[in-house]
Amino acid sequence: MEIKIAEEDGITVVTPVGRVDTSTSKAFEDGVMSAVASGKKLAIRFNEIDYMSSAGLRVVLMAGKKLTASGGALALIDMPEKIFSVFRISGFDKILKIFPNLAESKEFFN
Amino acid sequence: MLVKIKNNIEEISRICDIVRNFCVQNGVSDEKYHDVVLILDELITNIISYAYPDGGERFFDLSLEKNDQYIVMNVIDDGIPFDPSSQADPDVDSSIEERQLGGLGIFMVKQLSEVIEYSRVDDQNRLCVKVALCNKNKEENHGD
Repeated sequence: MEIKIAEEDGITVVTPVGRVDTSTSKAFEDGVMSAVASGKKLAIRFNEIDYMSSAGLRVVLMAGKKLTASGGALALIDMPEKIFSVFRISGFDKILKIFPNLAESKEFFN
Repeated sequence: MLVKIKNNIEEISRICDIVRNFCVQNGVSDEKYHDVVLILDELITNIISYAYPDGGERFFDLSLEKNDQYIVMNVIDDGIPFDPSSQADPDVDSSIEERQLGGLGIFMVKQLSEVIEYSRVDDQNRLCVKVALCNKNKEENHGD
């Protein structure tokens, strides 16, 4: 799988592409954790993935925990309904910040 | 449709392609394809990762069918006994600091399916999971 990492207005944006499952979650974890280590403001974009299994959710939660502990911030953006349903079922919508797009997460980061 | 699966995590990607083709050929919606592929990913990953602790090359079976009401998945393996339907659910109301990293996969299988039946017969784990084709399941659905 491909992981795109970009800087957009001082925010590190990580975009996984394809399937985030057990066989690809290590690449996703490496991409997300390098962004967690280098930046305090991280957004993960979800509109280029087919699906995300619990292996991927685990990585998102880990990033959220680390950034919460270090005073950083994590926003989840551009999440299609099918992916959002997985976050809702897991209760992650209550402990992580989800925004329609990057522009609407700006206030949260500021 | 019957598929034989090897206990190798690389199989996940092949199974995803098979499920995608099955759903396209049977006119299954993208939303239901998503639920089915996620459920099978979780179940198959569990078997590959935990059912055969002694290692070695092993195989297990998946069957996939569609009827008027359901997509029916049957997974049969001869690994160590494991009943997903009896696993404790994670606490989905805990704070981010307290939230545990594990236990989510089986919970999602339970939440996304209508029926989950387990039996241990002839030293085999036999699991039947059904996903309803229409949206009258336990989760409230958006705009339906």
